[in-house]
Amino acid sequence: MVNQARGGIGLDSEKFDLKRILLSRLDRKLTLLFIIVALVAPSLAIYYFYIMAVSALPESIITNQSSLLQTAAIMIIILIAVDAGIVGFFVSRSITKPIKELYGATQEVEKGNFNVRADIKTHDEIGELGHAFNRTTAALGKMAKERKEIDSAKSEFLSITSHELRSPMTPMKAQLQMLQNEYFGKLTNAQKNSLNIVIRNADRLDKIIVDFLEISRIEAARLKFVFKETNLEEIIQETVDLMKGSAKEKNVKLKISMEKLPIIELDPDRVIQVLRNLIDNAIKFSKNKSTIEVNAVSERDHILLSVSDHGCGLTTENQMRVFEPFYQVEKTSCRKHGGTGLGLAICRGIVESQKGKIWVESTPDEGCTFHFTIPMKPVRDVEPIKVLFSQKDSIERKLKNAFQMALGPLGIGEFIELKNKNSLWKDDILEHIDSLTGQYILTPKQGEEFKTTINTIFGQEKEVINEE
Amino acid sequence: MKKILVVDDEPDIRESVKMILETRGYKVLTAIDGDDCLKKLKGDKPDLILLDIMMPGTPVTELVKQIKDVKIAFMSVVRISEARKKGLCTQDNIIDFIQKPFDVGDLIGRVELVLGE
Repeated sequence: MVNQARGGIGLDSEKFDLKRILLSRLDRKLTLLFIIVALVAPSLAIYYFYIMAVSALPESIITNQSSLLQTAAIMIIILIAVDAGIVGFFVSRSITKPIKELYGATQEVEKGNFNVRADIKTHDEIGELGHAFNRTTAALGKMAKERKEIDSAKSEFLSITSHELRSPMTPMKAQLQMLQNEYFGKLTNAQKNSLNIVIRNADRLDKIIVDFLEISRIEAARLKFVFKETNLEEIIQETVDLMKGSAKEKNVKLKISMEKLPIIELDPDRVIQVLRNLIDNAIKFSKNKSTIEVNAVSERDHILLSVSDHGCGLTTENQMRVFEPFYQVEKTSCRKHGGTGLGLAICRGIVESQKGKIWVESTPDEGCTFHFTIPMKPVRDVEPIKVLFSQKDSIERKLKNAFQMALGPLGIGEFIELKNKNSLWKDDILEHIDSLTGQYILTPKQGEEFKTTINTIFGQEKEVINEE
Repeated sequence: MKKILVVDDEPDIRESVKMILETRGYKVLTAIDGDDCLKKLKGDKPDLILLDIMMPGTPVTELVKQIKDVKIAFMSVVRISEARKKGLCTQDNIIDFIQKPFDVGDLIGRVELVLGE
């Protein structure tokens, strides 16, 4: 369907269109104008001259020399038109050259390159425009630089504070455990209970600090991946076996179904970290005596892992927000306990650091399935991923508006559907728009406009993502 | 009685580790940084050094080069990846990594294993 739509659009644009060819460029338009003026003006002049000559000169001269006069008139008109055309071409070139230069510079800015300057030396309005453009670009560049600095300061702050917070945890936990182990004498039951509460919360605090450290690594692209040839089947089996204990406590069964998986290069620790987190969540939310299924299939360029539970499921709104840091699902019967609220955000960070995707599908009251992908080829050049205070929210808001503008009320549904599939990526959306055009839901023109809007939204995002 | 030298710039950590190990019947000495550690080594040779990996003063990587005949276990609050561990194990006498905050039982277990008890 998508390909057909693309083919259709392609054929349309390949049709020969003289009007489009002549009028699509400023220089062509101006040259054409010069030629028309140069054809009309001498024609009129010669016509008047001819009328005057006929009335003033004796008739014999006119009739005798008519062919000569006609040839001379046509020659004059053609020569003037050619001259005017040439002059027009150069005049218009002098106007369009700086405009082209400016356009090229604008495209660079769109790509997030704020170091570009338009080199326009004319001393007219276009020259002024060029200067204004250069000043604006310089200001944008300064802002982008400042934002990068603030971002790295934030990550740095997060990292330092987390380390500083973690240091006191060592003696604190050691002393608490010694008390608990009755190194300093027997404890009463009340003292034991009190101590257990303190220890439980110290552990929880430590977990939050560890998660913050992990996030600061993801955001600064310092997350370390140690890749090695790995038998994913073994890894999945081991992880599931390890989780069986805590599943048993909740009377939940763990089931694996996987096909033959290729041996690929990956960081087993990171895969286990994500998988454990998802299974852990699934156990937390599972109904008593239900089953959790862990699936793995090998697809074209990635391996897809899924964890399905039969818990209370997630509403559409919650499906959209569950990967946000500290987002707790607002439903008392299903509120989770003991988590830091950062687990899924970290999973997203790890998966996206490897250019994979993570998303959830769910039917409320029936359960949910979390999916994530592992690329067949490891990504060694890890880029920073925003986990806290991400720009993603504001971009999503803009995308939602764009969908609504282009498709009306239908747009919101389409937006949510794409978002839940975690397909709010530029390429996915552009492909989706093509398929909408293919189904005649949008006209090719509307489709193109919609695509331009999407490109603009992602263009704005790019400079945020492109930080080094 | 086996002797253990605990090197950490944080007094509370030194004190806590000392208390834990003393209850298991070890003799525990402490040092506040790398230079202090070298000074203490001139006296009684311990059987094991528990060495904090990040301390002010002489970098730990330099310090360990001067310690050849005593077993060393690193303690670190920063999580050390497997790859980094390999980089740090430059000598045969570096035998373990202890993650801080540690579990008391785990710390005792590791020390006993290393000292062969």
